[in-house]
Amino acid sequence: MPPFKDEHILILAPGSQVTLAQLGLPESFTPARFRFPTRMFPAEKKGEFEPYKIRERRQEVPVSNGTEAPKEDVEMKDADSATQQETVKTETTAKQPEASANTEQKNENSQPVDGEPTDSAAVKPSTIEVYYEEDVTSDEGAIYPVQNGRIVDWPCFFALLTHVHNTLSPPFHTPIMLIAEPVWSARDRETITQFVFEKFKTPAFCMMDSALAVCYGYGTSTATVVDVGKDKVDVTAVTDFAVSEHGRGLALEGCGGDYMTDRLVELLGSKGFSREMCEQLKRSNITELLPPGTPLPGAAATSRQGVNPAATASTGAQNGSTNDTVPRGPGEGTQTDAGGNGEEEDEGVLDVAAIVSGNTSEFLANREKEKAEKASTKKGSTDQNAKPVRLPNSKKEKATFQFEEYVRIEAEKEASNGPGRYIRQTREIEVGVERFLAATPKQNSGERLTSGLLEDIATQIHHTILAVPDATKRSELWDSLIVVGNGSKIKGFTASLLGAITQKYILSPSATMFTSEIPSNFSTPLPTGGTNTPAPSGQPGPMNHPAGHGVNPLLVAATHSNNPASSSMPPGTPLMDPASISHHHRSTGHSQTPTSVKTLRPPEYFSEWKEQANTNAPGAAGPGGPGMASGGHGMEEAVFLGAQVASKVVFVLDQGLSKGFMTRVEYNENGPSAIHDYVM
Amino acid sequence: MNPSIPPSTAEYGGDEVSAIVLDPGYSTTRAGFAGEDTPKSLIPTCYGKYTYDGQEKLIFGDDIFVTPRPGLAINNPMGRDGIVEDWDMAERVWEYSFTSRLTGPKPGNPLQNGLNDAHESELPIEMEGVETEEKPLADSPLLMSEPGWNPTKAREKTIEIAMEKWGTPAFYLARNGVLAAFAAGKASALVIDIGASNISVTPVHDGMILKRGVQHSPLGGDYISSQLRALFKLNTPQPISLTPHYLISSKVAVDAGQPPQVKYKTFAPEKAPDATYRALLEERTLCEFKECVVQVWPGPNKLSAAGPNGVSNEDLAKASPGRPFEFPDGYNQVFGVDRYRVVESLFDAKAAISDPESVSPAPTQAQTVPELIKNALNGVDVDVRPHLLANVVVTGASSLLYGFTDRLNQELMQMYPGPRVRISAPGNTAERKFGSWIGGSILASLGTFHQLWISKKEFEEHGPNIVEKRCK
Repeated sequence: MPPFKDEHILILAPGSQVTLAQLGLPESFTPARFRFPTRMFPAEKKGEFEPYKIRERRQEVPVSNGTEAPKEDVEMKDADSATQQETVKTETTAKQPEASANTEQKNENSQPVDGEPTDSAAVKPSTIEVYYEEDVTSDEGAIYPVQNGRIVDWPCFFALLTHVHNTLSPPFHTPIMLIAEPVWSARDRETITQFVFEKFKTPAFCMMDSALAVCYGYGTSTATVVDVGKDKVDVTAVTDFAVSEHGRGLALEGCGGDYMTDRLVELLGSKGFSREMCEQLKRSNITELLPPGTPLPGAAATSRQGVNPAATASTGAQNGSTNDTVPRGPGEGTQTDAGGNGEEEDEGVLDVAAIVSGNTSEFLANREKEKAEKASTKKGSTDQNAKPVRLPNSKKEKATFQFEEYVRIEAEKEASNGPGRYIRQTREIEVGVERFLAATPKQNSGERLTSGLLEDIATQIHHTILAVPDATKRSELWDSLIVVGNGSKIKGFTASLLGAITQKYILSPSATMFTSEIPSNFSTPLPTGGTNTPAPSGQPGPMNHPAGHGVNPLLVAATHSNNPASSSMPPGTPLMDPASISHHHRSTGHSQTPTSVKTLRPPEYFSEWKEQANTNAPGAAGPGGPGMASGGHGMEEAVFLGAQVASKVVFVLDQGLSKGFMTRVEYNENGPSAIHDYVM
Repeated sequence: MNPSIPPSTAEYGGDEVSAIVLDPGYSTTRAGFAGEDTPKSLIPTCYGKYTYDGQEKLIFGDDIFVTPRPGLAINNPMGRDGIVEDWDMAERVWEYSFTSRLTGPKPGNPLQNGLNDAHESELPIEMEGVETEEKPLADSPLLMSEPGWNPTKAREKTIEIAMEKWGTPAFYLARNGVLAAFAAGKASALVIDIGASNISVTPVHDGMILKRGVQHSPLGGDYISSQLRALFKLNTPQPISLTPHYLISSKVAVDAGQPPQVKYKTFAPEKAPDATYRALLEERTLCEFKECVVQVWPGPNKLSAAGPNGVSNEDLAKASPGRPFEFPDGYNQVFGVDRYRVVESLFDAKAAISDPESVSPAPTQAQTVPELIKNALNGVDVDVRPHLLANVVVTGASSLLYGFTDRLNQELMQMYPGPRVRISAPGNTAERKFGSWIGGSILASLGTFHQLWISKKEFEEHGPNIVEKRCK
């Protein structure tokens, strides 16, 4: 087989929300070039799927209209204007795409479900024809084949893969790298392997575990990968590039980004916030998770968020239980009232904006300016402390974010058979300290006795690392935590998670250091190292036992009597011998973990990844808007970087010498189940 | 190859499906594909049961350790002696062990369809039409393991579940002692299996167990846990209380021996998880303690005996540096000679720490490891004894206690000074933990093993009793 070329490699990374894809490896690895929403729409024929909502409409049709733009059915990340795209097919004319660039897929999920596109051309009467429109902005009736990482609808999933494959249209000599969700079962992987080989006719296929891909992206062989998704969290311990399957946290439900949205809805729902608003609030840059113990701005010191309760245990503060730990707001009194006022005022602004149609953008801009001025003066008046506007977000008691929504234009509602016209508009909404409480325990936690998102994840991390069989690796795993996934994009997420682990699991120094019982000739290990008593063999078991190797121990004792540490028959007064003591002690296995917990630094030599830090959130509120999330470290999708690194290694550098991928020949010989020999 | 020319359409034609190996134990259930070196799926055998919204719900797998549920109670379908007691639930747990990671849930799987009894009674009717399609193992042969003392009834029930409920096309039931010997590459061996609820000694000769020699006693990992609890109660200056992590909200670092400063988490009484749940999570901490602290006195002689030069072993043990341990509530202490005491009763029943409230009765000398070995060897033919002693295989997760094989070696050499004693204990943690599963994986992937499978047809012809004739 001829060698694979960089530009032919196809990388697919399906997720619950977004499927990342790219054809070819660039010179310097970039974030995924294509982002497909992971969903399909049922086609007219049962069992078939379309990438977009197809609407059928009989109506009078204009002869022609001027603007034609190439159909662009995949959102390019650098597209910048937000308009709507529509593909029109008529019976008489050929495909008549009439669209301009579209970025709406980004936030399709966050759009009103009843959105219908505008057909600006359908005004002049001519003949009655049947229209099939691709409504790219709608997610009505969409099927999401991957939920919580699990594939729930196989035909739909395969239709999606096919759609992605067709869109990228790779040549035949294209190896495929597919990132597998940890939760996929062995049979799932076989099914996908079979599909890929038989449908795409690929010459080589590699299926890589997402946690392992993250390790490749970070360039580390050992790490604890915490992947925070939409509604689930995967926690995986990877040691020496091997995924530790036992005790792995697989798709821990209710622990993803949705948790935080739900929590915000819980906190703000009574103040008239819709779920959509909360979702955008969560994604805005004013939502933050503060490290434990940080006082909320403007709140009394007693209502701190996440303060270490044990420290204040003597005061009898009741914030340990699940229900009463959360300050409901900034506290009773003037501040809450002010919040109410502010909101009303904002809504006034909205009403004005809602009747502004698209072509009077000047007017709108004026309105915005006015409003901003108003907001700033109001802030000045309500905030007695007269804080300067430049305060960091975490110090501000209130902050505003831009909420974007699609509003149907009133004037056209009467035109019943005409398509509705929608306008995207933004307005500012002011939020109080609730924006810092997104990860606090939910009141309605359903059937779980959860104690908050972060604590659940911390528990899972503890469980996962404790289940790693090689005990000597555990402290290294604690010290190399990687938090990825777009759910972790909120500012302060990682720091707060570390805080939650520290509060509950970090061992006190006295439990890891040795006390005066140590003989003076025994060197005290440093507590900082984490691995203060590593067994030399890496195994706690007495594998060095001579008998284990089939040698008569008596013989060993006789021949090695001068070497007490290697003998199981300690000569003389064995335990008085310092060498013997240290031997004895070291072999006792390992010490308890964790003594410390740290995150790994992301690699810095992929400049494109650094630059994109915050622009790439799937469905982030609008392109380039000022309300963009800005909390992440840019490596939330490190899985895709890892996939590129691994593709380069597996397909180009290694060429299959170390069985990194499965070839067509091997597939034909051994069938889909052979993929398990190659699964990385 | 030209990248624009489609490849020839040679399609995969064969249908090779590797067998599934299922190794159910009291503490964990292991499942995976034959031919692999570790089981892909490792789940706790116990399951959680709770009521939410008036519905009874069950949870399986590692999930039970992570998020507590209201009123969650933990049950184990296995009896303490390793024999299944609750067959319905054992079937569920086992099924979860391979559907969760291996085969994936299928429609019609009772795990998926609401779990209520009314539905299940309807199931047979639906089954007539669809037959094998809906069954979770319709296309995978299944090799299962069992303890050497599994009664005939239980063996027959097992094959019935595999054939009728799971629809496996071929089945075999193997003794876990035999499989552990295979994992060590031996056809004849004396297998010493230190498990969670049991320790067992199984003489294996030419791949067959010598049934008269099979010995077992309840001094497994759970017994050591009860010894640990007894130790904590007697601890000075104050008894150590064991609080699992889920009841801790946060803790503050304290010095060794100082009372913990901790903020507890409280649950409303109607929502608090059951005591069995607490016991399960306490066991997690005890397990960590066993890994980090507990040590077997390596010998020679008992801990209570005097050493070669008149100094008692206990004094020697005291002289060795202690091991610190911190409990979930932050309390920490260095454990000195006590860490030897808790396991000494595996070899010396008199050394047991007595605790009248404990669930485990005080051990008798006949239950200790040396006595079990002696009885096992007495139960087999004199001619094979030297051969067995030259092939002692140690397996089971609790045998990973540090110093265990050293001590075992000493005990064996004292008891049988003449013959050559050779212990084979893999150093790799996984190999020790999953010894019998790995043996099953080797066995089921052997080409010559294929003639041993009990096929569905044979089962239908001869009934469940065929397992007695074929799986000896």
